[in-house]
Amino acid sequence: MRAHLQDFRRSPVQAVLFLVVLWLAASFIYGPIWSVLRFAFAPEGKPGLGAAAELAASRRVITAIWNTLVVTGLSIITVNVVGLFQVAVLEYLKVPGRGFLRFAYSTPLIFVSVAAATGYGFVYGPTGALTRIIQSIYPALPNDWFSGTFAVVFAHSFLLTSFHFLFLRAAIRRVDYATVEAARSLGASNMRAFLQVVLPVLLPTIFATTLLVTYKSLGSFSIPAVLGGQRFDMVSELILTLNSLRRPDMAAMLSIGLGAAVILCIVAMQYIERRGSFIGGAKTPVPIERVRIASPPMRTLVTGLAYLVALIQLVPIVLVVLFSFAPARSIGTEVLPSTLTLKNYVTVFSQDTAFVPLRNSILMALAAIAAGILISLFVVAMAQRVKGAVSNALDLTFMIPWILPAPFVAIGLILTYDEPSQLVFGATLLGGFWILPIGYAIVAIPMMIRFLRAAFLSLDPALNEAAQSLGAPAYYRFFRVTLPIVLPVIVLVSGMTLNSLMSEYSMSAFLFNVNNKPLSIALFEGARSTNPELAAINMVYIVLIMAFSLLTITLADRYGLGNGQEKR
Amino acid sequence: MTLKGIFTAISVSAVLSGSAAWAEPLTIYSPQGEERAVWITEQAKAAGHDITILSAGGSELFDRILAERANPQADVVLGLIDASMATLKSEGLFEAHVPTWAEGLPAVYRDDTDHMVYKFWQTPIVVAYNADVMTADAAPHSWLDLIKPEYKGKYVIGSTAWQTTRSFLVGMLVRFSDENGEITDVGWDFMSKLYENAIVVDSGDALTAAFVNGEAVINLNWFGGVGKLAESVGFTPGIVDTEGGTPFISEGVAIMKGTDQPDQAKAFVDWFGSPEVMSAYATEFGQVPVHPAAIAMSPETVQANATLLTPQDIDWDAVAPKIDGWIQKIELEIK
Repeated sequence: MRAHLQDFRRSPVQAVLFLVVLWLAASFIYGPIWSVLRFAFAPEGKPGLGAAAELAASRRVITAIWNTLVVTGLSIITVNVVGLFQVAVLEYLKVPGRGFLRFAYSTPLIFVSVAAATGYGFVYGPTGALTRIIQSIYPALPNDWFSGTFAVVFAHSFLLTSFHFLFLRAAIRRVDYATVEAARSLGASNMRAFLQVVLPVLLPTIFATTLLVTYKSLGSFSIPAVLGGQRFDMVSELILTLNSLRRPDMAAMLSIGLGAAVILCIVAMQYIERRGSFIGGAKTPVPIERVRIASPPMRTLVTGLAYLVALIQLVPIVLVVLFSFAPARSIGTEVLPSTLTLKNYVTVFSQDTAFVPLRNSILMALAAIAAGILISLFVVAMAQRVKGAVSNALDLTFMIPWILPAPFVAIGLILTYDEPSQLVFGATLLGGFWILPIGYAIVAIPMMIRFLRAAFLSLDPALNEAAQSLGAPAYYRFFRVTLPIVLPVIVLVSGMTLNSLMSEYSMSAFLFNVNNKPLSIALFEGARSTNPELAAINMVYIVLIMAFSLLTITLADRYGLGNGQEKR
Repeated sequence: MTLKGIFTAISVSAVLSGSAAWAEPLTIYSPQGEERAVWITEQAKAAGHDITILSAGGSELFDRILAERANPQADVVLGLIDASMATLKSEGLFEAHVPTWAEGLPAVYRDDTDHMVYKFWQTPIVVAYNADVMTADAAPHSWLDLIKPEYKGKYVIGSTAWQTTRSFLVGMLVRFSDENGEITDVGWDFMSKLYENAIVVDSGDALTAAFVNGEAVINLNWFGGVGKLAESVGFTPGIVDTEGGTPFISEGVAIMKGTDQPDQAKAFVDWFGSPEVMSAYATEFGQVPVHPAAIAMSPETVQANATLLTPQDIDWDAVAPKIDGWIQKIELEIK
């Protein structure tokens, strides 16, 4: 604390900024958390567990919790099967067309959230292309065959493999090929060598990715909302329903339950990460070589499966891109568009109703990023300059939203700001434009802090000392020495945040209103409409989101940030 | 400073500089959408009222008005139904004003205690059917018939966020209320069966689709909605005068407390509910007004519709505070 006081005496600006950040932490992190706890455990001011009892009595709540657990359990298995198979095909086996397969398997990186769910709905849904193809052969297939647990698990299986693609591929490359050769020289088959030699080395990474999948699946929101169908709820969706039924106490209680499950996952993940670190290969490992499958039928089978998986992942994307260039009337009537046009793109950029959600999303994301970067810079720079409990506490405070699911934060914001609040000088945020960008900023800051902290840690202190010895004051050193060095990181982390906020659904579904309807909500509404004009506009939105993701990921990859993420 | 504040500042300075051309239009929240909103805006303009209508679903507007209570954006609320208006009034969001057309209005449509909410037109929520595939005899004779096995999968229940759905669910539930106004177990049993027997949807498109693909035959809808759906799908509608009565809902108008244009708001309300405007609207859209003078000036078909069905006796003021709880139970335990 004394170090801080000295720092503030040197620079009153720092003191003011410190107060501002403290106020932000109190208003937008502790305030909402306090509201959730208060509404869940003492809705009328008296402590009680009434909300929990009512949740337990509701058939729909119990079903939703059950659905969430079943979907998560099944997804863990299917995602691992698909993900491991993909990694084996790409890095362990010789399968023709590896470049193509790698491209197909990488699509979950850019085809995410509500955009992906809408794309799947477009292919497999009641009026989807695939549904109609199957129905022409097998007319008894019901329109809504693709719904419920099956649809959600199916979508998870092929959309949540991005962690396997990123982390497990990196891990298998670190396997010492000498061990595989040794096993084979002792008479083990390819399969056996993979299962008994390669797999055990991968196990810590598999655990880590499995927990990420669990975490994603527990909080899954847009996929069940779009694909689950009429009577299928998962927990996140139900929290939204409870909120709209004006039962904030039950919504708060359920979001605490979801939060607890997610935190448990993260704790387990960190435990395994720590324990797994001692498993290492040889000092000078022999790089892994892909093996040829000896038996021809087996080779055909594996190749066939590899291409089937690629097909499942590519078909929705190809159809979405194609139909974004098709006239609206061909949606739902043609399997492949017969004519191509740019009309849909013109509509999105020229018609107010179609353009407004795009504009809203960009504006809100930019506002959230600007605020988030400023706060993160302040927090990280302070932690660097003045070491101690206060800095650590502030840093940890802004990391809290990392372990809280979006519905928890959103319900907290709603409960805190649905009436005039002294925390924000008597304003009512709910129903206004700013509440959603505030929510975006809260969830974006943890990742910003992680990346900026890494960037600050790698700064050479000699640079700063040199500037200081030449007489440069603190702010001058910050703007002329530190900032230019961390600027690329700022740009990239901003790009990645913008990318995820463009299709952010969980926070948006709770906090949007007529003043700030974002792209993700427009996509969701379009996905549930049977109006082909809206479907056509949706295709354009998805293509724009994917193009944007591709751009940011390519940039991030080029600047080496992709590796940084793998250490997460 | 809010946008509205800025507008006010601009209009104040405009008035001070002697020009009224900058005056802010009256903001009206109403579930009246599309051509109806356009019609009202145009007629109002011709009568010298400068208004903008923000239209959205009834329950969305209701939530929005509640959310904006600290900082109201609307000057007038027009067209929310009985229960919603009763709740907003009990939240203290309205300003008292007795419209010029209150005289001669039947007592049920007036607000003699608070002088805030006055009703201007009414609509029954009806049981209708596709007369091309179902005879009048085969159609349900009462709302309570819907749970019969022969109607399984033949009718649609929409989102409980819709005013129409809420109204008919409440209309059925109140038949099972005990002396304290609470719903008996028999009533909740009925509700479970009603949902089990139904096609449940939550979007207007899904509702239309159920009729287009021929699954749904019975349409539980507001009177005007029945004709609209039948026309867009292409069938002849039949309407049942149900035993036990048909729930009627009426829509009201009220001035928001804290409006910065009270005089314009009052003038607009006085104009809108007048028999002349009501009968003109009835002529245009077939909506049945509640003011006897307006009914008398309306076309014959509208006059006939006014007495077509037997109303169910529902005390909306008594029911309003209970509806949230009922809908919660339906959503969480029955649906």
